[in-house]
Amino acid sequence: MTDRIAIAGVGQTVYRRRHSDKNSAELVREAATAALEDANIGLDGIDLIVGGVAPDALAGIHNIDLLSISRPGIPYFRINTGGATGSSALLAGMTWIASGRAKAVLVVAAERMGHATTAQSIFNSIFDPIYEKDISMSTISMVALRATMLMQKYGFTSDHWAGLAARNSAVAMLNDTVDNPRFFTKDQVRSSAVLAWPIHLLEACPTSEGACAVVLMSDPNVGDRKAAWIHGTGALSDTYAMGDRFHRPEGSLVNLVTLERSAAKAYSEAGVTDPLNDLDMVEIQAPFASSEVMAYLGLGLCDGNDAVAFTERAIDGTAGIAIQPSGGPQACNPVSATALIRITEAALQIQGKAGRRQLDGIRRTISTGQGGATQFSTAVILGNERP
Amino acid sequence: MNKTKNQAHIYGAAVEMSWMDASQSLTDLIFSGVTAALKDADMTLEAADSIVLGASDLIDGRSLSSMVTAPAAGAYMKDEIRLSEDGLAAASFGAARIEAGESQVTVVAAWGRASEGDPLAVSRAGSDPFLHQPLCISEMDVSAFRLSRWLGRYPDNDASRRAASAERQRRAAGNPHALHSVTAPRDVPYPLREDESCRWGDVVAAMVIGKAPGKVLISGVGHGTDHADLGERDLLEMPALRDAARLSLDAAGINLSDVGLFEIDGMTLSDEALSAEAVGLCPAGDGFRALAERQDINPSGGSEAGWCYPAMGLVRLIEAYQMLRAPQGPDGPRRAMATGLGGGGAQTATAIVLEKT
Repeated sequence: MTDRIAIAGVGQTVYRRRHSDKNSAELVREAATAALEDANIGLDGIDLIVGGVAPDALAGIHNIDLLSISRPGIPYFRINTGGATGSSALLAGMTWIASGRAKAVLVVAAERMGHATTAQSIFNSIFDPIYEKDISMSTISMVALRATMLMQKYGFTSDHWAGLAARNSAVAMLNDTVDNPRFFTKDQVRSSAVLAWPIHLLEACPTSEGACAVVLMSDPNVGDRKAAWIHGTGALSDTYAMGDRFHRPEGSLVNLVTLERSAAKAYSEAGVTDPLNDLDMVEIQAPFASSEVMAYLGLGLCDGNDAVAFTERAIDGTAGIAIQPSGGPQACNPVSATALIRITEAALQIQGKAGRRQLDGIRRTISTGQGGATQFSTAVILGNERP
Repeated sequence: MNKTKNQAHIYGAAVEMSWMDASQSLTDLIFSGVTAALKDADMTLEAADSIVLGASDLIDGRSLSSMVTAPAAGAYMKDEIRLSEDGLAAASFGAARIEAGESQVTVVAAWGRASEGDPLAVSRAGSDPFLHQPLCISEMDVSAFRLSRWLGRYPDNDASRRAASAERQRRAAGNPHALHSVTAPRDVPYPLREDESCRWGDVVAAMVIGKAPGKVLISGVGHGTDHADLGERDLLEMPALRDAARLSLDAAGINLSDVGLFEIDGMTLSDEALSAEAVGLCPAGDGFRALAERQDINPSGGSEAGWCYPAMGLVRLIEAYQMLRAPQGPDGPRRAMATGLGGGGAQTATAIVLEKT
């Protein structure tokens, strides 16, 4: 990261299973208008729009972003890195500013997966067409493999997955961007249907639609806006093949090596040496409880010896750091936007604009993005002070 | 350039075209193209710290293309990002990473395999699902609309159309990258003619760029965006491309007359001709004549040499780069411009100006 860049405005729609009453452009307009108003800037002040849309097939329209996000007369391109799309789009906007090509960038990510007949059939086709498609590999079975490995390697039990899911559902009751949030207890999670052992239905993120927008600005243009400053970033791409990650020296399938290294770069840029003490809050792109635990390890919030105990403290709210105050992706997970939402939620907390879910004393945060077969990782550190 | 402290230089590049090669998977093709670009740059993958891709999920036939294809492009443990855009937009973004100081060496790659993923069928899925998809409008239909409108305004150009077609066939025949065999049928809607369509290909383009000085500099970049709705557009003026070209010249601090070589993207001959007009290479109505008579416009043979979205803007850039790099006399071009058109009937456009150092 080379120049001082800030999040000057954010905007979100409500996230719900399906926005039957709005087309994609209307969703985008709602989020983008809110972000521009929050940043007190008009579209004429925007030098670039970056669109974030993940698989075309989820919406059933090729390049739905061209119809809904792009604007005539303003340079535009689309980023697509799966579940990390939103955060990758933000990093792309930062690159444009740092290169000197822009002073202000509008980043918009939108998801219409509620229009897919079966999202998991589409997620099946992200895998290798020769070796994996025919064994019904999906994002859920992929997560189940990792959850099983975590249980075998570190001693996690189904109680931990259910406990985290229940905690996130309780927290999400305060999040007014989640339409009709689901509240459930640990026992209800455990007694819900098994999707792919050990993953239960109520642990899985819900199908979600909505749009999220962020206005990025370079330092001199931020002025006296109450901004969330970007203190550090990192992004890395891993091998696709999960089989190649079981026993490699860098770490096993449940060690998010790319997140670990992305976070290390972001920490270095931000001067973070002890994340548990130096950071106040984490928003993790974790659609399942086991994904959240893998991120604890990757972010250095705990090590392998302490992973189970740290998770239990996270469930109890005594981890020493605020975790997923929005409820995280288990409350709503619009795939294309979810990683940008993690950053937006952190920005809202830093700006003191998080409404009923606002926490006290949030000065520094980290947000993660995770896409593909936990393959594309991003880390973004925000702070309330100019770096 | 917009910011002078860092500039992106080109170290090497490769274009590989094939058709329905059953011995090569898509990832094999990508690996081969990127490897060839690194070899041309006399570098190994270890030198690169960043990978920028241009690829389309639906043309690749995978719901998240880069999941499987990014490693083949060298992305393992590197800062990789994928644009769902034409390859020239990816090249522009790669240059931005260099200018921003985020990368020392970036590999840019883009591809499209027309023998597996039908670009026209995919493009039909990009229309508004209620108003336009029932009409089955593809990118080829948009090209035909554009030519039809052009013919209505400039009706007496049949000789220059035929001359431009013959000339680009002659140039493509001499292009070492070009496909020469029969590939997919070149069926086209009226008023396009079969010989004015592209030669469909399986195309991989890759380029290695970086901060340290090289023989060719990316000296200007411009982007433009048009209305999404075809009905709201001026199909002849192509404002997105016009803006992109103008902005790239502004960024390079030069005029159009300072550029000695142009590689202009277009799926069809008429798209190339109208793009040449939009860039300002000739008066409106003279696009075909310019393609037929000017040796500095598409010496590669353009889309006759092989074509598949979204690789083609990067192919045009590489053709321009390699011609600048080739031995030539003192009067040879020092600067070149490449253009690339995005999906949605060229709703987005990119232009890049190159300069010999």
